[in-house]
Amino acid sequence: MTDRPSRSDVSKSKRPEADGPESVPLLLARASRVSAPPETPRRPTTVRKDAAPPLAGVHWTNPGAITLRLGKAGLLVAALLLLLSIFADLVASDLPIICKVHGTVYVLPNVTRPAELDAMDRQTLSEEAEWAVRPLVARGPAVAPGEDRAPLLAPGQAGHLLGTDREGRDVFARTVHGTRSYLVFALAAVAASLALGVVLGAVAGLFGGAADALVSRIVESISAFPPLVLVLGALAAVPRPTLLTLFFAIALTRWPEVARLVRGEVMLATTRDYVLAARALGASPFRVLRRHIMPNVLGPLVVVAASGVSSVVLTEASLDFLRVGTPGGAASWGETMSQFRDAPNAWWLLAFPGVLLVVTIVAYNLMGEALRTALDPRSR
Amino acid sequence: MLAFALRRAIWAIPTLFGVSLVVFLLTTLLPDPEADAPIAAGDVAARIRLDELRRARFLDLPRLINVAPRDIRATVDECTAHIVAEDEDSAFCEARLAHIGGAALPHVLPRLDDIPPASRGRIALALAPVARRMGIGDEADLTQPDRAALFWVRFWEDRSVDFTEPAVRRSVQRITTRQSELLEQDIRLVDTFALQQLMAALKTTRDPAALSRLTRLAAHVTGRDAASGASSHVLEPTSDRARVRAVVSEWLSWWYVHETDYIVLNGGEKVTASIAQTRFSKWVLGAVTGQLGLSTRDGLPIFDKLIARGPITLGMSMLAMLVSALVGVPIGVIAAWRRGHAIDHGAAGVVLLVYSIPTFLIAELLAKFGHASGAGLVLPVLALSTVSLSVVTQQQRASMIEALGQDYVRSARAKGARTLRVAIVHALRNALVPTVTIAGVQFPALVGGAFVVEEVFDVRGVGWETLRAIESHDAAWIVAVTLLCAIVTTACLVASDIAYGVLDPRVRETQARRRST
Repeated sequence: MTDRPSRSDVSKSKRPEADGPESVPLLLARASRVSAPPETPRRPTTVRKDAAPPLAGVHWTNPGAITLRLGKAGLLVAALLLLLSIFADLVASDLPIICKVHGTVYVLPNVTRPAELDAMDRQTLSEEAEWAVRPLVARGPAVAPGEDRAPLLAPGQAGHLLGTDREGRDVFARTVHGTRSYLVFALAAVAASLALGVVLGAVAGLFGGAADALVSRIVESISAFPPLVLVLGALAAVPRPTLLTLFFAIALTRWPEVARLVRGEVMLATTRDYVLAARALGASPFRVLRRHIMPNVLGPLVVVAASGVSSVVLTEASLDFLRVGTPGGAASWGETMSQFRDAPNAWWLLAFPGVLLVVTIVAYNLMGEALRTALDPRSR
Repeated sequence: MLAFALRRAIWAIPTLFGVSLVVFLLTTLLPDPEADAPIAAGDVAARIRLDELRRARFLDLPRLINVAPRDIRATVDECTAHIVAEDEDSAFCEARLAHIGGAALPHVLPRLDDIPPASRGRIALALAPVARRMGIGDEADLTQPDRAALFWVRFWEDRSVDFTEPAVRRSVQRITTRQSELLEQDIRLVDTFALQQLMAALKTTRDPAALSRLTRLAAHVTGRDAASGASSHVLEPTSDRARVRAVVSEWLSWWYVHETDYIVLNGGEKVTASIAQTRFSKWVLGAVTGQLGLSTRDGLPIFDKLIARGPITLGMSMLAMLVSALVGVPIGVIAAWRRGHAIDHGAAGVVLLVYSIPTFLIAELLAKFGHASGAGLVLPVLALSTVSLSVVTQQQRASMIEALGQDYVRSARAKGARTLRVAIVHALRNALVPTVTIAGVQFPALVGGAFVVEEVFDVRGVGWETLRAIESHDAAWIVAVTLLCAIVTTACLVASDIAYGVLDPRVRETQARRRST
């Protein structure tokens, strides 16, 4: 689940063999070899429609087009989710967006959380405010002081649209704010793993020899661990795990995939004529990498990044569900869902965060799929 | 063929080395007990306790290379020097000397004459607990410095002949074959000097009565049971097999940690020790020989727990793989056959959805709604199979499409073979090869999923145990599981590569060519 193998393993085989002709460590090459032997005669890279499977029925429609359209939908949903995570405070917060209290105008008190308002009883606040613009739902992810004590584990009702959890916190507010902790975390972790993977993969691919051997061994060693197990191990080994521990652990398990991809692409590109030409003209290795190789790697990288985000979100949710993830009381989908285990009748604890979780993952997966289709002419 | 398999297996060795390094780095993340428990300068008991804690994790050893490996000679020299200098460590060193006991005598007593009288007395007094353990000397001899020094000098004159390895080995060998109070007395008189032989005998002996005698002697000379007040380290002749295993493995891991306190390293051994007496080697060698230590959660040997829990998780993963293949392969074949058709799109949609729903959600839903019909492992396996279902289906579809486009399929069609025959005999047979081998690559994902599924369905496998271990910070278990998972994953990869070579001769040739160039 959390560490499902990336779907790029499957489709990578459709790409031209990325490994160099010389001795390629088998583990590194495994993804590309599993689906097709490397040196079998290949079909032409673009398959004419009528040359596709002879047994296939009439071509109904262009499969690539559907994938691309779905990918656009995925992009739209992902963008909306990102907006939701950025503006979570405007959607659900216990404090107003703008208000005037005791002659002072507070702008965005729900973001800045001024002490005098934060300490105030919510009931008195709404009475004493001269005017206030309220967010969509007047509940924060935590129970605010003086808030009318909501019933614990209550189903949806007037004050709490999607019900409350076992501490009386609003499920809707926690779900919305959970978007923030999940998406921001996932994007940051993926960015970190991309940075590390690109640098090490490029070094291995460009310089070859000892550098390549070293990076390849490290990549192999880390990929030998089931990702969830390695993250669990790191969380257990550190005496007081924080969000940063989780971040490093997840980035650590993700970069080898990136490095493997970049290494292969760089190695493939270095044999191309335009790279040879650039070298012959006296371009430095760094310039060759930046101007001639990286643009080719960018496409596959985006695919890996998209599926990486969904996988990190999945990992974090499962860790939270197992109650070993995000420390502290930050809003998190997995934490809300894990409460369902003790209260099997409170279906809303599972349903709403679950739907948003699945929507997030589907959106990013669709995006990745569409990008892969767009980049790989063979699969159209 | 065998050469190919061997070559592939050998290629896994650097990976395994890397794996061990990664897990080792993980163990160095564990907090050093010294860090969070400041010790008062005079508190010898606390310092010894702390020392024990650190040594159990080899924190007293350097990480990767040991320039000057310690043996008993070095330890004793250091301790006597501290006692002579009467510095702040002298109290600790006196306790340490008493703790080492009989094995230290051949290194202390012959030099007792060279030490200034005042220090001589202190050392002799420090050794008094050893004499009490041996059951010799009267109180006056052991409490007055002058008389104690004299006592020990005389002791060495009388008994130095007993402190030789062959003599001790003979006594221990006899002890393993028959009960004799006299022989036991002999061994008590050389104290910890006999430990090396006792441990060697412990390793090879199977007879519970002999093991009972050996453990009783070992517990007596090390004073381990006296310290804890319980007889948890001693076997009774009537103990059952599980208890025998637990106690013996406990003794062996204790010896593994403390060996260098009691033995002398000579020449070649010293060179080996500079590699072997490091945190990394100690840990790796321990792991390889099954000395994974004891669980701090319930005190059972980690190795036995792994043997008990492992098959559940592994079996579940394999069954899940089988289920997902049984479901995924037909879907993939049909989707490839009707490529671009509504069926293909429908299958792709379902596969994507299954791929995107977290396993814990699927498991939780299955657990809630399937309780009436669910018996035993059916539901957990079903939930776990969704982990690999989408990859299998996608792989099968991709390889089937590739196979359908091959020339031999076209010729079969042209010859007029029936559609079903072409699809199954010609295309599917070849398209199955990558799918079969992908099973090995799936293992890490399945293990991750198994951890979650076990937790939801309360299956007592490795994952369930691991989560309990995290709650109670049972480092030994976590480290062992991480290592085991990595080793099994690597083995699966090797197996899948070899299987690929077996099933598809073209791959074999390619790889042979790669190696030779």
